[in-house]
Amino acid sequence: MTTLFLYIDPGSTSYLIQVIIAAILGGAFWIKKFWRKIKSFFTRGKKET
Amino acid sequence: MTGIKIHPASYRDPAGFVFTVDGVVYRQVNQSYARQYEQLINFGLYKKLTHESLLISHTEVDGPAQSSDHHLTLLPVQLTRINYPGEWCPEQLKAAALLTLRIQQLAMDHGMTLKDATPFNIQFDKGRAIFIDTLSFDLYDPGRPWIAYRQFCECFLFPLYIHRYAQTGTAPIASAWPEGIPANLTARLLPFKSRWNAGAWLHVFLQNQISARQSTTAERIHSFSPTKLTRLVGHLQSIISRMNTAPKKPSAWSNYYNETSLGQPYLEAKEQLFRQYLHQVRFTDALDLGCNDGRFAKILAETGVSVIAVDSDWSCIDSLYNQHLPNILPLCIDLTNPTPASGFANAERSSFTDRAASGMVTALALVHHLALRNNIPLPLIAAYFSRLTNQFLIIEFIPLSDEKAIELIARKETTTVGYDPEHFESAFNRHFRTERRELITGTDRILYLLKKNDRT
Repeated sequence: MTTLFLYIDPGSTSYLIQVIIAAILGGAFWIKKFWRKIKSFFTRGKKET
Repeated sequence: MTGIKIHPASYRDPAGFVFTVDGVVYRQVNQSYARQYEQLINFGLYKKLTHESLLISHTEVDGPAQSSDHHLTLLPVQLTRINYPGEWCPEQLKAAALLTLRIQQLAMDHGMTLKDATPFNIQFDKGRAIFIDTLSFDLYDPGRPWIAYRQFCECFLFPLYIHRYAQTGTAPIASAWPEGIPANLTARLLPFKSRWNAGAWLHVFLQNQISARQSTTAERIHSFSPTKLTRLVGHLQSIISRMNTAPKKPSAWSNYYNETSLGQPYLEAKEQLFRQYLHQVRFTDALDLGCNDGRFAKILAETGVSVIAVDSDWSCIDSLYNQHLPNILPLCIDLTNPTPASGFANAERSSFTDRAASGMVTALALVHHLALRNNIPLPLIAAYFSRLTNQFLIIEFIPLSDEKAIELIARKETTTVGYDPEHFESAFNRHFRTERRELITGTDRILYLLKKNDRT
């Protein structure tokens, strides 16, 4: 791929930090999803009673 | 061709540059950017962005070519009231940040990415933020993180965090660090409790720690995916849109008009007189100095002209901006220290004084602050106002007997000699001719309509 000469310095660690933040956000995303499943399991149970 | 001038701030990006011919602004696209430009235009991104009024629209013209690697010349919609991040209130910086992120999202949907994220890519026009740098788009490589992430943090996110915790406004930070405030400095400025804020911890403290450890190692390419980048941009959007920029306690000015014991009858009498003065004259643009809640800027805007409304208090500008009035451009300007010409060779950004000059200037309940609080002599105030106005000035004189003037001098051992209507009039008569002079009913305050002398 042709990329233009970069005229801003992305920062030597800017890419690494994005990888780490994305990993944390990904983790949080899955935990949230999992938590919602547990919650909905119990709330569904409540509605039925 | 005569009068061609390359814009002194347009030297960073090798994709092209901005130039003016006889005052009309053009943008040259260089050959090296041809592929990116075609992608922007041909795959629907340009259409989508301009349709949603996110990006300034342009027409391709057979205009003047400026150099051998000329590919195209663009004629963008012309903006008349140029403004800078160092003049924006926190809500404006927030709007500019969210605009940048929205454009990055849409760009990714169209196989492109923003290659920079500076607030100088954005202008406020017709009450909204609009992206003006048509050449900021690059082809998106799905395996790479966002090249402009750090710049985005330093220019948008960090000033907003500092403001959130220190209530500084964002303008002083943007003025002092036009290229962005670094993470290590931001981390030092934020209070300890900010570490409990997930966004601040991730983007400020964690970033700072990693940078400190890794600063000397060469950059490696880390694998990334569009999902990860979408999540990162979405997270930035979520923390910025939820960020509360409002003042924690009311500022000295936010209730200024309500607090005066003169109250509503005074305001109504002043407004009536103000409207009479406006009916008497014609002008094409206006500048309201010390606009406070914007009551009089709105009356100016009713005449159909564009109005710049300035105040040194960011919370006043915040609330005026939040009304998104198409004819009013609210800006944080301290008249005792207006924006200087800045950037390389003092040429990249012009001074507030050079940009704001208008046919009608209004200064209501302002001069006593400059004269009594800041000790600026009346002749200097008159001389400066005569530079700001091209024609007319509506100005209010508040005498020493007035409650607001008494408040200002109560704790100050200062001389008030020379602060009276006679000295005021003699100072302003050097530059202006008095068209109207009336006492505001029920007060000792005087409202003047002045016309600038042809030569001052």
